[in-house]
Amino acid sequence: MPTWQPPPRFTRPDPASDEGGLWAQMDRAEANLRRSPFRLRDAALERTVQQIACRLGEAHCPDIRVYLVHTPYFNASMAPNGMMQVWSGLMLRTDNEAQLAAVLGHEIGHYLQRHSLERLRDAKSRSAFGQFAGMFGAIGLIAQFGAIAGMYAYSRDQESEADRIGALLMHRAGYDVAEAAKVWSNLLLEVQARPNGSSSSPLFATHPPTEDRETALHELAARYAGGASGEADWLRSISTFLPTWLNDEIKRGQHEESIAFLTRAIARPAGKAEYLFARGEVYRLRARSGDSDQQSALDDFRAAIAAGNEPPETYRGLGMIYRARKEPAAAQASFARYLELAPKAPDAAMVRSYIEELRT
Amino acid sequence: MRVLFVVLLAAALGACAPMPSKVDTGSKTVGERMVLKPDVAWNELPGGTPAHVWTMEGLPIDQLFIYSGIKDGEAIDPAGNSSNAKHFRFRSSMQADEVASLFEGLLTRNGSTFELTKLEPASFGGGKGFRFEYTLIRKADNVPLSGLGFAAVNGGQLFAVVYNAPRMTFFPRYEARVEQLAQSARILPAPAAPVAAAAASQAARDSQLGRGPPCATPMECNSRGVGR
Repeated sequence: MPTWQPPPRFTRPDPASDEGGLWAQMDRAEANLRRSPFRLRDAALERTVQQIACRLGEAHCPDIRVYLVHTPYFNASMAPNGMMQVWSGLMLRTDNEAQLAAVLGHEIGHYLQRHSLERLRDAKSRSAFGQFAGMFGAIGLIAQFGAIAGMYAYSRDQESEADRIGALLMHRAGYDVAEAAKVWSNLLLEVQARPNGSSSSPLFATHPPTEDRETALHELAARYAGGASGEADWLRSISTFLPTWLNDEIKRGQHEESIAFLTRAIARPAGKAEYLFARGEVYRLRARSGDSDQQSALDDFRAAIAAGNEPPETYRGLGMIYRARKEPAAAQASFARYLELAPKAPDAAMVRSYIEELRT
Repeated sequence: MRVLFVVLLAAALGACAPMPSKVDTGSKTVGERMVLKPDVAWNELPGGTPAHVWTMEGLPIDQLFIYSGIKDGEAIDPAGNSSNAKHFRFRSSMQADEVASLFEGLLTRNGSTFELTKLEPASFGGGKGFRFEYTLIRKADNVPLSGLGFAAVNGGQLFAVVYNAPRMTFFPRYEARVEQLAQSARILPAPAAPVAAAAASQAARDSQLGRGPPCATPMECNSRGVGR
């Protein structure tokens, strides 16, 4: 790998070739993505992510076109024509710029080695081609496969190669390669938190074994020591999107995964109250009468208020818990505070009815 | 629009679509404990577990999901979900916002985006319940949908009708019919178990005295207008 050099920029293949057909298909997917309502049209954030991709892609920068996609799953992909998708669930989960660079570098590694073309030529059957097309989000239902949707259609060898190239690109771009291993271990924490554990995850069917991959990534980090993580800049870049992305995360209904992620995110130096509120809300939605989740939710809501800049919904959550605990005065006060902070909330009428009910 | 038509047609043909049956106007018992009185005919898809699915235009254009008597711990998403995702399970202790969140999770598990636009108390099933409105952008084809739901918890069980259809044409066309259908809903009393006979007798005496029986959940108290 030390002798590996990126290939020269790709030229558009002959339309009559299989690769040309693949590009044409991806061009159509990109045209759809460009006008998709799922596209996150924020010039500043798109520019930030595009710049990260450009630093990694070096001479290939002009061919990489980044599209941010509002979908709460951990996923990024890069099509052979240069279309790169980055989903909001991934951006929410990355602690810093280097972690995002690790995923983008990995995808650029697939692109530079033209792995998708290899996979196309391997795909003998229609069903295999269906999975292949899903790698790039061209099939809308790919999120059904879970948090790692687009990433498991490559072979283990290709994944390992993309890891190695991604690490090298990170290093050359000035990022701390040690963050790449953290992306993987963070994702594993979520997968393993699922009630059915990690054994049934498709992630493990095609990706290198967990221990092997972590070992390899740590070795790469040792080889490419140094570099920056870019934490403060990245957290500032995503700060305005946190309320929306965290609401998406709460409502996914995958409580154990969300708690694993949020427990980690609470330690970030920015957004503490928002992450605490989100975890409290997940606990509240998971709570069954008599279990400890309700108390955990209460603790998180109170901690969010103590941290300051808590979302208005923190008070709604508190009110719901006090109401369930038959503490009417505390419930009324919390609901009133919620309505004071969010008078036009979509559930304002419902909350007002709770206040009325508590007065009687 | 032509592209959308082709996508929908392909989806309908390619999915080996099940044959619907006609739901005539008049009284229709759904599940064991809910009666609806549609004023126009609907189409019903085979199945009915956990939701009965009705449609005016056919899938995937518009869908009316009818949940009748979902018990504590039962999932509102179909069995056989091949993904590793956790099921969306109803709990009898759920409040209105938690039930709405449950539907939000269900409707967005394929990557669609959901925005709750209204949640308010409403009459449903002959008692108090709640009503919610939402918008949804369907991941599969990028179509923006509008949605409307009514729900109540009665006897610890969930009863709900949830409808969505494309925002531009079909939702406005059928919204009033869904409202009518929801207003026609009546939830029947739970069949008395032998061990509950004495309690039922007490309830009858309570009723004569102007008292209600104790509530199973806070939401049920709320739905019956019972102070706690």
